[in-house]
Amino acid sequence: MIELVQANWWLFIIALLIGIAVAWLIFAATRRTRVDRAARSDVLDEGAERAKRNQALIDSPASQPENILTNPLDPATVVAAGGQESAMVEPELAADPEPAAETSAAPAGAAPSSARDDLKRIKGIGPKLEKMLNALGVTSFAQIAEWDEADIDRIDPQLGNFQGRIRRDSWVEQAKFLASGDMTAFQAKFGNV
Amino acid sequence: MPIWLELLVLLLTTYVAGVGIGWMIWGRVPGDDRAKAERENDG
Repeated sequence: MIELVQANWWLFIIALLIGIAVAWLIFAATRRTRVDRAARSDVLDEGAERAKRNQALIDSPASQPENILTNPLDPATVVAAGGQESAMVEPELAADPEPAAETSAAPAGAAPSSARDDLKRIKGIGPKLEKMLNALGVTSFAQIAEWDEADIDRIDPQLGNFQGRIRRDSWVEQAKFLASGDMTAFQAKFGNV
Repeated sequence: MPIWLELLVLLLTTYVAGVGIGWMIWGRVPGDDRAKAERENDG
C-alpha cells in the first residue's frame, strides 16, 4: 500500500485538494449571509458603568416618567450620555433634588410597579429581550406604543441577535393594545396572552 | 483486492479527508449564536 501511495502521490494530493475545494464550495461559497460578530454592538457588552446608569433610570420614581422615561431614545439624550458616562442621570437628579432623595433612599431594584410593565406579554419578547430593553430604558408598553419608524430604526440595531423583531412581531401594535388595556382586541389579533 | 480498487479506495479516503479539513475550516459554527439567543429569550 505504501508503495502504491509513493508511486501515485500526486493523485492523492489532487484528491485532497479536490476534497478541500468541494468543502469550500459547500460550506463557504454558498453561504448567503456572513455574521460579523465584531462589528455588531451589543448593549450587554457596554460595561458596568452604563448598566449602572440604566439601572438608575429603571429605579427612578414614577412621578417623573416624562422627564426620563418618555423618550429615552431622544438623540440629544443619547449624545449627552455618549459624551459623559454619568451625564444622563446626574443632571436630571440635580435639577430636582426631592426625587433624588427618594431615589437614594429607595433600595436597589425597587422600581415602582406603575412605571414598569411586563414586556414579556408582548409576543416575541422573552426574558433576554426584556432585559435588553430595560437596559435601554424601555420599561413600559406606553413607551413602545409611542415608537415611530425613526425610533424603531434607532433601537433595532441595538437588539443584537434580535434585530428585525420589532417589525416582524409588530411590537408597537401589540404595545398599543396592551397599554390601552384592550385585551379583547389584542387577543383577537395576536392570540391569547 | 485488485490494485486499481485499492488505489480507488485510498483516493476516495483522501478526498473525504479533504472535505473534512474544509469542514473544519469553513463548516463549523461554534454554537449558533442566533439560535442560542433565541433559546435564551424564549426560556
